Amino acid sequence: MKKTSLIFLIASCFMIMGCSDFLDRESEAILTDDQIFSDQNMISSVLANYYGRIDWGQSVERSTEYRLLDEATQSSGGTDRTLDYGDDLWRVYDYGLIRNLNQFLLGIHSEAAAGLSEEYRSQIEGEARFIRAWVYFNMVRCMGGMPIVYDEIFDYQGGMDITALQIPRSTEAGLYDYIIDECTRIALLLPEERTTNASRANKWAALMLKARAALYAGSIAKYNHLTPDVKIAGGEVGIPADKAAGYYQTAYDACQEIFTGDRYALYQNNPDRGANFYEAVCNKSSEEVIWARDYKYPGNTHGFTNNVIATSVCGDIDANFVTPTLNMVEAFEYVNDRDGTLRTRTPDDADYIYYDRPEDLFAGKDPRLYGTIVYPGSDFNGIPMSYQAGQKYLDGGEWKERTGDINSKDDDGDILTADNGPDRSDAQYVNNSGFNIRKFVDYNRDASTRGRGSDMWFVRMRFAETLMIAAEAALELGKQQTEICGYINQIRTRAGIGLLNAVTLLDIEQERKVEFAFENHRWWDLKRWRRAHVVWNGSADTYSATHYALFPYVVKDPSHAQNGKWVFDKLRSTWTAEYPHRFQQQNYYNFINQDWMNRNPKIIKNPYQ
Amino acid sequence: MKNLLHIFLLAVLATAVVSCGKDNYDQPESSFAGKVVYDGQPLGVRGSNGDVYLQFWQSGYELNTSFNVYVAQDGSYSAMLFDGVYKLVMNSNRGPWVNSPDTVTVEVNGATVKDYPVTPYYTISNATYSLSGTMLTASFDVAEVTAGRNIEYVALMVNKNKFVDFGDGTHVAWVRNESAVPGHISLQLDVTGALNEQVELYARVGLKITGIDQGLYDHKVERVK
Repeated sequence: MKKTSLIFLIASCFMIMGCSDFLDRESEAILTDDQIFSDQNMISSVLANYYGRIDWGQSVERSTEYRLLDEATQSSGGTDRTLDYGDDLWRVYDYGLIRNLNQFLLGIHSEAAAGLSEEYRSQIEGEARFIRAWVYFNMVRCMGGMPIVYDEIFDYQGGMDITALQIPRSTEAGLYDYIIDECTRIALLLPEERTTNASRANKWAALMLKARAALYAGSIAKYNHLTPDVKIAGGEVGIPADKAAGYYQTAYDACQEIFTGDRYALYQNNPDRGANFYEAVCNKSSEEVIWARDYKYPGNTHGFTNNVIATSVCGDIDANFVTPTLNMVEAFEYVNDRDGTLRTRTPDDADYIYYDRPEDLFAGKDPRLYGTIVYPGSDFNGIPMSYQAGQKYLDGGEWKERTGDINSKDDDGDILTADNGPDRSDAQYVNNSGFNIRKFVDYNRDASTRGRGSDMWFVRMRFAETLMIAAEAALELGKQQTEICGYINQIRTRAGIGLLNAVTLLDIEQERKVEFAFENHRWWDLKRWRRAHVVWNGSADTYSATHYALFPYVVKDPSHAQNGKWVFDKLRSTWTAEYPHRFQQQNYYNFINQDWMNRNPKIIKNPYQ
Repeated sequence: MKNLLHIFLLAVLATAVVSCGKDNYDQPESSFAGKVVYDGQPLGVRGSNGDVYLQFWQSGYELNTSFNVYVAQDGSYSAMLFDGVYKLVMNSNRGPWVNSPDTVTVEVNGATVKDYPVTPYYTISNATYSLSGTMLTASFDVAEVTAGRNIEYVALMVNKNKFVDFGDGTHVAWVRNESAVPGHISLQLDVTGALNEQVELYARVGLKITGIDQGLYDHKVERVK
């Protein structure tokens, strides 16, 4: 009896406490719409959140994904045994973000935002719509036409007819048209001024997106006949050929508008061409960059420098996650010779060519090679970079090698294998290809530590691309070669290499490959030209489908006339990428996830699915 | 106190016994098999890398998820299934034949055999292989069934195991003819190196059609060593 009373007493205590407003408190963590849209600082934070959610594909935040194409290969650790490209590789399907953006657009026109100035409201509306167009652009180049929700914000309540919420896929052309139309309107909303570190979109970024989207749509319309099975009868994948000219014209006009605006120019502040190209892309004061993903230390950094830096200059134990291929290095032309093949053997292939210094092999190469890649004998922020796989000596008329561990010396105190390798081991953080990435790598040694990270930006759009789009659109529209060469030669003049007097689409492909290496263009370019299955044809006999490495050796053979000189071996680096790249027709468009189709049965599958 | 312990142990034991009935399902016991055929003849495909497969769908459940049944080199496929009605779908353009969105419906009830008919662009027939010394000769007939696709190349390949196809690592040597036309074709491959290095050697011929990733192959593999 006593016990029961006690229980009742305790229970009633709880009930009394529960009645006070102790639990009824305003959340300090959740902000209401009114609180956000009446405060410019809050609005900026929300926008910053959106800006941080929109990088897909290759990026400085996912360094290892660079191994998937032909620019770089997997050095550190074991062999990359990837066989095929995934059906969901770099797939973007972010309707959550589109819904957030639509809520934001509704919010800045709500009563809570009545206090904002017209000018400010127009700018943030333009930015939000620009980000939305960018998300759609990233989706369309992965999967073709996808549902367009416009400004709708769907809210589900129990018992609702959900078929009204299910939107079928747009055609591929329809989604490109939507992006292009949006960009036209966005360009009128956004300011013309540059933004800090090019981190926020302005009018010119909107026009660049318009030009790029139109160029992609135009090349798909023109070249999708090369892959006749990669299409859907309803047009969700594939664009009719008669639309090509219209898209190219749109791209061309958008570029002309940017030229007329005259806010951007190619960066040419450093007389040293190689260093100039590095600064053009990696210096945050570069007047060339139109839109970038900016980072800021402390708090907002990435590990790219930490991951890919060379061993001899690294600030932590990490290095060489991915390193450039020989293929990428040879893609850079010579100043006076369009064939960029490195001359390591005599023309009759009978003997090595002997070089006094390793950098002599690269003499006369496109200076952009220096700005993009650290090669044997070049420097990193003034520090000489040595790559040496071993020593060579003649034994009975045959070349033999002496190699050691990384950073080893022979009994005479001469280097056997340099700290930067290269070697073929599976060891972690060891260089396996003979080069390192320079583009987007921070010279600040602290930036290569795990704890700090680098705040190097990642360039999304720059003026060189405006010129390349103008050149390609002009070429496809049949303009005069003098005009086309005029655009591309601006880039080649800045680079410091020979000019062209006639341009083909293959020249454009070549120029884009070297100018925009590591900038997340290559995959999308080869897809829109329908060239990917030819370049990456899965055959071990095809140079472009396989990864190669360059192994430098010092001749150490007192009996040999060339004792002390450098020789180089070009090797197919099966120890970094065992299988050749095989791009199948099904890789032109990602597969549609079955789960999305279960939720929205109006979404139809992509080809080969 | 002892009583309480007994009751407790009994309860634990009871739970253990009861739970046995809940989470154990029988494994699927109905075998299902068939071949990809044209005109009653099986078509050979790439059997490695899971390249060619049929999707199995079953209606009547809330969410749709298919499972894949892979086609072997000789064009056959097999699976252990639960009894029921299934739909067989070939991924569009996934095999070396004319794309057909048709669905084959199969009622699985005990051991079931059902072929999947396709219309190829080309067929390979009467393939013979002969090794004299180190020279391997293959002769076969290529017939065009559906017009509209060119032959990219025909090839004779050898590999150290029974998987022989165009893929990287699934042939140790091959010879290609990139100007082949339908009719009787003969290919010769010097296999000196392969004979010396490999313990066993298998040969097969294949045909690559322009614009289609998957090759068409002889449905059988010939052991030459």
